[in-house]
Order: sequence, then structure tokens, then C-alpha cells
Amino acid sequence: MKVVFVTPRYGPEIMGGAESASRLLAEHLAAEPGFEVAAYSTCALDDRAWENDLAPGETDMNGVTLTRFPVARERPKEFFGFDGKLRRSPRHVTWDQSTHWLDLNGPDVPELIDALRHGVADVAVFSPYLFLSTVAGIRSARMPTVLHPAAHDEPALYFPAIGDAFARSDALCYYTAAERRLVQRIYPVAEKAQIVLGIGLGDPVEGGRRGGDLLGLGDRPYLICVGRVDDRKGSAMLDTFFRRYKEHRPGPLALALVGRVRSTIEAHPDIVVTGEVDEPTKWDLLRDATAAVSPSAMESFSLAIMEAWEQAVPVVVNARCEATRDHCAHSGGGLWFGSYRQFEVVIDRLNADAELRRRLGASGRAYAQEHYQWPALTARYARFLESVVERGASARV
Amino acid sequence: MSGRGPEAADAAEQGAEDVAVAHDYLAKVMGEIDEEVVRRRRSGDLPLRVERELDELFLRYSPMAGPDGSLEEALGVVEASSFIDPVVPVDSSKPGGALVKQSIRRASLWYMGWVVHQINQFATATSRTLRVLDDRVRALQVEFDAQRVRAAPVLETQWAHGPGAWWVDRVLESLAGQPGRILHAAAGDGWLVRRMAAADLDAYGVDPREARIDRAEVEGLDVREEPVLDHLRAVAPEGLGGLVLTGVVDGMTAAERDAVVELAGHTVASSGRLIIHSLSELGWRSDDAPLEADLASGRPLRSRTWATLLGQAGFDVDVIDGPDALDYLVIAVSDRGREDARSTR
Repeated sequence: MKVVFVTPRYGPEIMGGAESASRLLAEHLAAEPGFEVAAYSTCALDDRAWENDLAPGETDMNGVTLTRFPVARERPKEFFGFDGKLRRSPRHVTWDQSTHWLDLNGPDVPELIDALRHGVADVAVFSPYLFLSTVAGIRSARMPTVLHPAAHDEPALYFPAIGDAFARSDALCYYTAAERRLVQRIYPVAEKAQIVLGIGLGDPVEGGRRGGDLLGLGDRPYLICVGRVDDRKGSAMLDTFFRRYKEHRPGPLALALVGRVRSTIEAHPDIVVTGEVDEPTKWDLLRDATAAVSPSAMESFSLAIMEAWEQAVPVVVNARCEATRDHCAHSGGGLWFGSYRQFEVVIDRLNADAELRRRLGASGRAYAQEHYQWPALTARYARFLESVVERGASARV
Repeated sequence: MSGRGPEAADAAEQGAEDVAVAHDYLAKVMGEIDEEVVRRRRSGDLPLRVERELDELFLRYSPMAGPDGSLEEALGVVEASSFIDPVVPVDSSKPGGALVKQSIRRASLWYMGWVVHQINQFATATSRTLRVLDDRVRALQVEFDAQRVRAAPVLETQWAHGPGAWWVDRVLESLAGQPGRILHAAAGDGWLVRRMAAADLDAYGVDPREARIDRAEVEGLDVREEPVLDHLRAVAPEGLGGLVLTGVVDGMTAAERDAVVELAGHTVASSGRLIIHSLSELGWRSDDAPLEADLASGRPLRSRTWATLLGQAGFDVDVIDGPDALDYLVIAVSDRGREDARSTR
């Protein structure tokens, strides 16, 4: 089967997010027997300007035949003012306004659209939803199309031209059931073929060192939070909650914040900020943690909690984050907090009860391995694509 | 034939049991945590002011919607931000900067104060109005809770629901060659979806019971955890070639049944099939009817009542009674094509 993945940007330089998830999925699918995988993308690295930073043309990248097409025009400055205007009342945006917004948002890649129009792939996979290359691509592709929306509850999701892309796609692929519920609250697409796939999880690559030693904590127990240290990710809240917690519980428990630092964290004897770490260090740190905390309310999937579960470590998540709370509720692998008091009690329980940690960690691990380990996830996705191709593009509006 | 071997079925059953045990354990632990939270709040070990500040911090970094979002919290955020201070800070890192800022503030305060006073008045009036609305909604919620009826449970009996049931072949015969997607609810572990797929139908399923569908999802079947009415509300007009409802309508309230009829009329395509399996009153009263039958808010309709309701909604209806009149099957064909043709003549 010939599959083409279409993303606005492509390559290892693009860290995190839907484009990175698509690339990894394409690479794993390319390793499956019977699959020939291509990727269409732009020459851009920066999604704010869409400048052609890379050379156009065809190349092989980890088993995927990648074709980069030049962006016809950079993003005009007019976009930001117009975007701000539409954001005020997204549910009342007209068709014309939303198509104009898409034109400004870009990327405008006529050669990519032309390639889809005349392409020979059996199925085209698009992600994420909010770019011109996705919406125009779905409209033009002659083969069946799968949209991986990577949708958040944000203004653009309500724009009519975006709704058109959802309606025209032949199938949908979601990160989580929460994302599906969000999309279905807005668009009548429930009958379309779809799958809640998530993001693939690789095998741990441990470095064989003790997590406590790596953090300079020795034998002290520690909570870990893996991901960008950023107020928008809840880091400031976790920092304040933990400081408060320690004021009344001066035991050995520490907190390790592991990831790129975007917000300032004041020094504290029980808080270690590592910055970015390599993969073996991350897995070593995760393996020896008492629990992994995900304080962010804005996660669309959270690979970080899957990686903690892979190491049989229980997780603690923000009760307001539908995606991570769903993971905990479905797996039985983690607890959640919706207030400081709840945070305090959850940490007390996890810190004191080894059996609780063991049971939660085991349930989380079973869930992560069954649903998100690459071999299982790729096999599910391959079956899904086969069914989409079999069904054909007949569902196209 | 379900298309799976006994070992796979055993593994599926074991997997479903493990998931159910994990869910029960998690529910117990979270229940204990909530009780402990209440106990500590009563103990007063944390000053109320501090707790409020910490919770406001939580809210600042968490959206107001989401599973636990409440109007009370949203109002708290509105009220906290409804005061605008015209006295701007004058600190400065530059020499003399604070003095310059202070002069500008003093010179413009009469103007800023006048504008800000009006904005503050508007913001206060708005937040008071929202508070009044919140009180009204709370009062309505109390009344509503007192009259709340449970959503209809999925009701299945061993003899009427499963691969060996008498009506399964009738359903497959009726749907043979049907174009478009066919929805089965409640799909359980996907046994009928598998049968339909084997018969070259483009089938999928929904079921509100998570533990039942988890294995089916892992196997790659398009079976989703959703209540059927929620699902139908998100289906495109005429988006379904067929709709098969089993174990779903028996215990529904009148309002839920009305919704089924209306949504089926909206979502089943012209010449599409709506198929309903229901227990009869006799089957409902039988000793082996599930416990949920006693607790359900509704009771099964007589088959002729379904025939009348669906006939009024534009379906051609056939009814087939099961053995010993314990259950029945309603097969309804959407007459919309003919209705449309009549209306355009």
C-alpha cells in the first residue's frame, strides 16, 4: 500500500507536536511489510513566517521518501491582526472570513496540492487540521484521505472552512477519546471511519545509572515532571504547590523538573531543575521516581505520562486536563488533583504507600504497552488504513 | 461465528476483568482521597486564605471548562479580574524614571480615574448579573436533581443478546448489500460488528460500557465508548446506511425514545434500515431478565407501538416476533426518498 503523509513541516528539526508525531508514525509504518511510505511537506522550518529554509526536492529519510515543495509566499503580517479579530467571536466567523484566514495562515504550496491532485498513493494522511496545506490538500486529493486533526478547543477549530475539511475527509484519527468528543461536539462526523490511536511509545533506552545519583539526591525519593518547564504547562503551579507541601512535610521527598526551561524557578533545596537531558538519562530518572507529575491542563496526549507508565511509575495529573485524566481513568494507572488540598493528599498517599504505587504503576504499564507501544500501535494503524483504502473515497462530500 | 478463537476470547475476558479490577481500585483510592480532603479542610490546619490563594493559582493555569469546570469557579475568575486599578505602578530601573512616571501618573490620574470608574461600574454590574444567573441555575439544578431519571442502561439477557440469538440472521439478511455505514449499539465486544464486517457491510459500533469495548478497540475494530444518543447527535444528516439497536431501547424513558425516533429519521439515509430488537413485556418480566430491568426508568413498548411511531416518522415497518413472544424485531426502511419525491411533485 502506498501512503503519503502531508504535514506543513517535516524533519527531526521539528520537535514535539503533531508534525513530529506524524513523522514518527510514517517512519514506523514504512518498516511494516507491504507499506511504501512517502511524505509531502514544505521547505519551511518556521511556521510563523513560512520562509523556504530548506532545499526543495526528493530525499530519503529513515525509509520515508520525502518531497519538499517550496512555499509560494511567506505569511503576511496582516494575518496577526485578522486572526486577532476572528478570535473574538469564532463561532460567528463567516465562510469568506475563514477562507481568507486560511489563505493568510498558509502555507501556500501549489506544487504540493498539484502532486496530491495527480498522485498515485492509495491514501493521503494529513496533520494537523489548521493549515492551508491540510484543508486545500483534503479538497484536492484524488485518493481517500485521513485527517489527524490534533485538535484543541481553540478559536480556529470553529471556523467554517475548517469544518469543511472535517466533512470532506474520509476518515479521522485522534490522539485521545477526549479529542474525539471535542470534535464531535462541533462537527457531525461521528459516522466517519475513525480510530483513537495516540502516539507511539519506544522501548526505554536506559543508561544504567541511579536516578537519585543523577539528580544529586542520593537515596532520597523524588517526584518527577518531564516536559517543558513553562508556566503554560503548569510548572509555576507545581513549583508553588510543592514548596507549600514541603513547608509542612520536611521529609526527604524532592521534586525534579526535567526539560527545557522557559520559566524561572527559584532555587529550593528540595527542587532540582535539570534542563534538557538525553534519552538514557530521562529513562533512568523516570525509572527511579516515586511518581511522575503532569501539572498541565493543556495536554492533547502526553507522551511523558506514557513513558512513566512504561517504567511502571504511577502518575499524578491535573484533573482539568481531559486527555491525561482520561488516560488515568481508563488505565487505573494514576491519580488526579483539582485543588491544592487534593494535591497534598495524593502526594501523601503515594509517598507513604508502596503497594498503591506498585498497583497503579502496573496498571499504567499494561495500558501503555497494550495501546501505545510502537508495534501494537503501528499494527492497529495499518489495519485502519487498509479499511480506509478498501472503503475508498466514496464518503467524500 | 465471531471470527475469534477460544484462546483469544479467554484473553479478552481476562483483559476485561483486569481492567475492571483496576477501575474499582482507582475509584476506591480516589474516594478515600476525597474523604481525606474533606477531613483536612474541616480540621483547619491550613488557613482559609492560603488555601484560597493556592486554588486561585490552580485555576489560573487550568481552563474553566473540562470535566470538573464549574460556573462558580468561572465567576470567581470574572470577579477577580473585574476591578481595574487606575493607579499604575511607578517603579523604574532607570535613574529618575520613577519620578517621571509619578509625574505622568499624577497628571493623568483624573482622566484615567474617570474612564476606569465607568469600566469598573460596568464590570461590577456584569459580574453581579452573572452571580444572579448562577443562583437561578443552582435553584433549577436542585429541582432538576430531585426529578432526575437515570439514563437507560444497556439491558442484555443471555438468551436474547449474543451470536446465537434467533434474530441475528434476520438482521444480516435485512442489511445484505446495504450501502453506507451500519451502526450497532450497544456493540459490546463487537461480536455483531464482526459478523456484519464478514458479510461485507461497513459496520461499526458504540457502547457506553468501557470495559466491554476496550478489547475490541485493541483488536482494531471500530467500536467506541459512547452512549448511543450522544453518538447519533454527532452523525451527519443521512450519514448512516443502517442503524441496529439491541439492548438499548427497552428501558428507555419516553423522552429518550422520542429522541431515538427523531435522530434515526435524521441520520438514516434514504432507503436505509433502522432495526430495533426489544424484549416484550413477557420477556421483561421473565426470571432471567437482568437486574437493571427493575431499576430502569422505562419499560419496553409493544411492537405495534414502535410500528406506529416509526411509521409516523417516515419509515416502512415490519415486525417479527421471537419464539414464545419473549422478544421481537422491528425492521424499518426509511421512506425519505419517496417522501422527498412526493413533496417535489
